[in-house]
Amino acid sequence: MEQAAYAGEESQLVVFKLDKEEYGISILQVQEIKRMTDITRVPHTPDYIKGVINLRGSVLPVLDLKKRLGLPNGEYTDNTRIIIVNLHDMAVGLIVDGVSEVTAMGTEQIESSQSVAGVNGSSFISGVGKLDNRLLILLNLDTIIIGGQEEKVASL
Amino acid sequence: MSIDMDQYMGMFLEESKEHLQALNRCLLDLENDPQNLGLLDEIFRSAHTIKGMSATMGFAPIAELTHEMENILDMLRKSQLTADHDIIDTLFNCIDMLEQQVESVANNTGQAPDIHALVSQLSSLAKGEKPSHVIPVKSSEPSTTDSPTEPVACTHLSESELYVIKAAEHKGYQAFEVQVILKKTCLLKSARAYMVMRALEELGEVIKSVPSTEDLEKEQFEYEFQVILLSDADPEKISQTVQSISEIETVVLLPCLDMIAHPETGNVQQINSLPVTASEKPQANTTTQQDKKIKGGQSVRVDIDKLDSLLNLVGELVINKTRLEQIGITHKLSDLVETIEQMDRVTTDLQAVVMKVRMVPVGQVFNRFPRMVRDLSHELSKEINLVIQGEETELDRTVIDEIGDPLVHLLRNAIDHGIEEPLLRRQSGKNPIGEVRLIARHEGNHVVIAVEDDGSGINPEVIRRKAVEKGLISQADAEKMDNAEAVRMVFLPGFSTADIVTDISGRGVGMDAVKTKIESLGGTVEVETKQNQGSRFKIRLPLTLAIIQALLVAVGEEKYAIPLGSIDSTINIQPSDIKTVQNQEVILLRGQIIPIVRLANILSVPGIQSEQQELFVVVVHMGDHRAGIIVDTLIGQQEIVIKSLGKLLAGIKSIAGATILGDGQVALILDVGALMQ
Repeated sequence: MEQAAYAGEESQLVVFKLDKEEYGISILQVQEIKRMTDITRVPHTPDYIKGVINLRGSVLPVLDLKKRLGLPNGEYTDNTRIIIVNLHDMAVGLIVDGVSEVTAMGTEQIESSQSVAGVNGSSFISGVGKLDNRLLILLNLDTIIIGGQEEKVASL
Repeated sequence: MSIDMDQYMGMFLEESKEHLQALNRCLLDLENDPQNLGLLDEIFRSAHTIKGMSATMGFAPIAELTHEMENILDMLRKSQLTADHDIIDTLFNCIDMLEQQVESVANNTGQAPDIHALVSQLSSLAKGEKPSHVIPVKSSEPSTTDSPTEPVACTHLSESELYVIKAAEHKGYQAFEVQVILKKTCLLKSARAYMVMRALEELGEVIKSVPSTEDLEKEQFEYEFQVILLSDADPEKISQTVQSISEIETVVLLPCLDMIAHPETGNVQQINSLPVTASEKPQANTTTQQDKKIKGGQSVRVDIDKLDSLLNLVGELVINKTRLEQIGITHKLSDLVETIEQMDRVTTDLQAVVMKVRMVPVGQVFNRFPRMVRDLSHELSKEINLVIQGEETELDRTVIDEIGDPLVHLLRNAIDHGIEEPLLRRQSGKNPIGEVRLIARHEGNHVVIAVEDDGSGINPEVIRRKAVEKGLISQADAEKMDNAEAVRMVFLPGFSTADIVTDISGRGVGMDAVKTKIESLGGTVEVETKQNQGSRFKIRLPLTLAIIQALLVAVGEEKYAIPLGSIDSTINIQPSDIKTVQNQEVILLRGQIIPIVRLANILSVPGIQSEQQELFVVVVHMGDHRAGIIVDTLIGQQEIVIKSLGKLLAGIKSIAGATILGDGQVALILDVGALMQ
């Protein structure tokens, strides 16, 4: 399913930063990008679930993507954004260090995740895109968002 | 040759269901008042409308069945038949069948039950095959197998088709009746008809054909057929397009609505060969004219989802207004503040209107009960008089959808177990006809629905005995229990398995399910009973599920909402008032020991300052259990809109949902039941 999102001749990616690296998710999964806002903590949830926000009248959960991927913590800054993604009819916010651009990428520019095995938490990664001299880590939202639920259950 | 029916499907389902309800209601009345011609007319109209709609939509079995029903109804109207038990029962069976058919259309199962047994039953009734009501109709023949072979001049339009036509006209389309006559030499008539339909569909929308598209495909027509076409194309062009197909003899194009307005000049003729004599046909047409009578009051059907999002938007508007208010105050902009005051009134009204739009009269649910009670009383050979009051009482749509089942349960129980056999009633000096009352009314912010019967009542002794036998309570407990408490045990889950209470006077089948359902709707259910005088089950429901009264509290920086329904009181205590019993912190409140819960601990609220001098305790209850929740501050009581936390965060312990506060922040709603465990 995730692969399909990047398949096709050319796909549009939303590029954002986490720590020092650049990441991408398919624009088809992105509903909107929001500035940092008040987040209400929800007790009894994994630490990477930051809480819930009010998006024009509906309440939706927000994940700290850095915490989720095991990256070092950082302060939220003026550049911090919440990317609202839509996955299986469910809207979820992802906190990122900053959204840089929307870019197009052909399938031939993408290496599948198998060839970058060994990367920490590679099940979160569906591939790596090469864009001139830059490398874009393409995220697998299914495992990042839905998979978290199973892990939570397993660890209990 | 498929016409895109999806867009009319919703309308069809809604309207059919409405007409089926009307049929049920009128038929019930007719049973008690068989001579009432007005009722017959109403029944006829509903059946007729269903027939028309289903024919348009291509649901042949429904159309066929309603067609047969019309025959019977027509004979009833002309007093050729009498509405006796057999006929009424058959008609009720027809309605059930229609309901099943509509249901199968709605679910798209394609596995609708077969109608033919009913159809033949109807036609034998129509032929008067019943000794006491023999009024032979000589010229009549079962019509279903005869396809109309005589050339028909014009199409008969149903109400729903007219509606579609009128709606299309508003969009600048015109309705035409296209009469096509094929050459007698034509070999593949169905193929020609298909080509004509294809050509017409390219020019507009075909909403009906006579004969039906199915018959056209099967070549079940002579050389002529009619099509009702909605199109914005030039009539000349339509005519020419059809003409250009080979083997067409003539094409006649008539604008449709003119014809409807002047049926006599439009040469209207009933196309369905009703098994009635020719002299009766004009009367059938009169009914059609009545069909077109405009209904009083204008209304629009709206998808409930749209109303939900409307409510969300209004909520958002209110929140933004609050922000503007704060900006106005912070920056001392008096002009802004004044404007916002105006806006405040508008948003408040708007919110009230949106809430009102979502309210539906409870009659929508009640409507189905008279029929159920009738069937059940026949089944049990008990005579029941069902009294319904307060049908106009309004409830939020979300609640309406849910209360049907519990009420069915309570009514069934009242009739099955509450009301005694007629003989028994006579012996105890009661009216042999039992009375069951279903009453709805407003009571403050709640709606109360009561199901009452004048039956035998619930015997607390029997309940006690059964509860002890079932091992639900001990003998000692049973003896201590007062009667009201004992009766309340009918709601215990253990009482729900059949055969416990059914063989005695009590109730119990699924009562725990009733209670659970009502509680899940934020309501309560109570029972009162008097020996030999009857019982009353009283359901209290909030007006809406979406909005509740809550107490906002703060712990550290965080705010939580506690539903007011589960709050007993709020008290201030000193830290020294807290005692410990077996490692459980408790307080003593008016002689009662109440366990306490520190919200900050249980929710692991970060950054809590040291013990305060004065503690706020919210005393909550769940059933008979009480607990005190310690919070830092009581913010105040307010109405909150309940929002779900979504799939990802579903099922989090001690949190029941979320709400959005006036400043746009999200606050979580506490699940009091879970907190107390």
